[in-house]
Amino acid sequence: MIRIGDVLVSRGEGGVYGERMLGGARIWDPFRSKLAALYYVGTGVELTAGMRVLYLGAANGTTVSHVADYVEIVYAVEFAPRPMQDLLEVARRRPNLVPIMADATQPEQYAPLVEEVDLLYQDVAQPDQAAILARNCAFLRPGGRAILMLKTRSVDIRKTPEEVFRATLGELAAAGLEVVETVWLSPYHKDHAAIVCTKRAAGDARE
Amino acid sequence: MRSYWFGDVDENGCHPADGDTAARVQRLHTLKTTMDGFVLPGWEDAVACGVCSDRATYISTLRELCFAAAEQQIREQYAGKDTELLQMVRTLDEMDEVINLLSERVVEWHQVRHPTFSRKYRKTPAHLMVRSISQRGRGALGMVAEQVEKLAAARTELAIEVSSRAGKVMPNCSALIGGLVAARLMSHAGGLHPLSRMPASAIQVIGARTALFAHLRTKSPSPKHGIIFQHRRVHNAPKDRRGKVARALAGKLAIAARLDYFRGEAVPEFLERAQERIDRLGTGDMS
Repeated sequence: MIRIGDVLVSRGEGGVYGERMLGGARIWDPFRSKLAALYYVGTGVELTAGMRVLYLGAANGTTVSHVADYVEIVYAVEFAPRPMQDLLEVARRRPNLVPIMADATQPEQYAPLVEEVDLLYQDVAQPDQAAILARNCAFLRPGGRAILMLKTRSVDIRKTPEEVFRATLGELAAAGLEVVETVWLSPYHKDHAAIVCTKRAAGDARE
Repeated sequence: MRSYWFGDVDENGCHPADGDTAARVQRLHTLKTTMDGFVLPGWEDAVACGVCSDRATYISTLRELCFAAAEQQIREQYAGKDTELLQMVRTLDEMDEVINLLSERVVEWHQVRHPTFSRKYRKTPAHLMVRSISQRGRGALGMVAEQVEKLAAARTELAIEVSSRAGKVMPNCSALIGGLVAARLMSHAGGLHPLSRMPASAIQVIGARTALFAHLRTKSPSPKHGIIFQHRRVHNAPKDRRGKVARALAGKLAIAARLDYFRGEAVPEFLERAQERIDRLGTGDMS
């Protein structure tokens, strides 16, 4: 990841959402982007120039635009029409961004469009976030990484964030994902946890 | 056979999807994909298919398709006639707030300029005060008052438009309770579809959230009515019968909302019977 001093940045065309610039690069604000927060409080996954990414829950394209600055191609999935309008505008100016209007809970809707990816990133406000991630792992190459931004409050408002977090870890393990890093995104985002997993390569199933 | 955005692939090779982008969007909607054992598309397949020459053109062609598909989907989602009505009602409610706030402020300001002026014992409504201030006030005060008046005029115009639009979008609800209130119910529910799925008991207390939660939390009585109180049969009914009328009206509204959503046209037989029942309860004839 590119850092100027302590500040996380990405190199690309600015002015997407009024982000500030630093030495010609776009400042990636951890308070606005959960992925940026992950790079501040944890390790995350190093974004590289050759990477192919499937991004679920692209919303207005704020974080997506930064990811697109780093990688080869981003398939950005968003469901709601209003944020999709903004995402299309961002995508028009970024040739390596493929906007897909579809429901992340139904990967068969966009399966004919999306190739195999190296990184699966998910940030959706749904109750069954672990199940959605597991279903979308069909797009992830064996050995590829998945990042789940767990919105604990969307899963179950009556349970504590820690309870939701533990239950989610169990579901991910059951889906055959190996959790490599977990970190809470405080102080940047409240009740949000980042979970980084690896999809086991075929024949790599450990006893 | 595996179907992708660029064509169908089977053991005999690849059959590219014909036509321009629009035709491909159409085809995309007809694809029935299951995730079991699905093999993901690769740009090499598309090149073999003759759809593109390299990875760069693969991406650009795919992007063109995705843009067209998304734009069409957005247009379809917005085409639901209630989407614009929703924005209109919310604008109307927000304008009411702004106009009230500014009117009060302008009058307060006017009082400071005229220390001997008081509104006590005058039966001048705020909007008339604003009018006289806009005519006599000097400088910024006069101009602000003038703008408030213009806003109020725009609000009146908008209210008329909301009413007539509601009459078209939700004819049955509008016939029962009036276009403006029908539109407000729809706005609170978040659209015609969510409103049509609401039980009558929920429709009855739309707009009475504070009272409802107070009731659920404490032992206070449940609210009898929310915004449907604005219907004359409800607020004109004697106090001991209001709940009954509100319940009947809400029941009929729930049916009306479903008719509006699924049929989209007025159903005279239903409206006649519903109106009759509400009127009978409202006037106290319990037979």
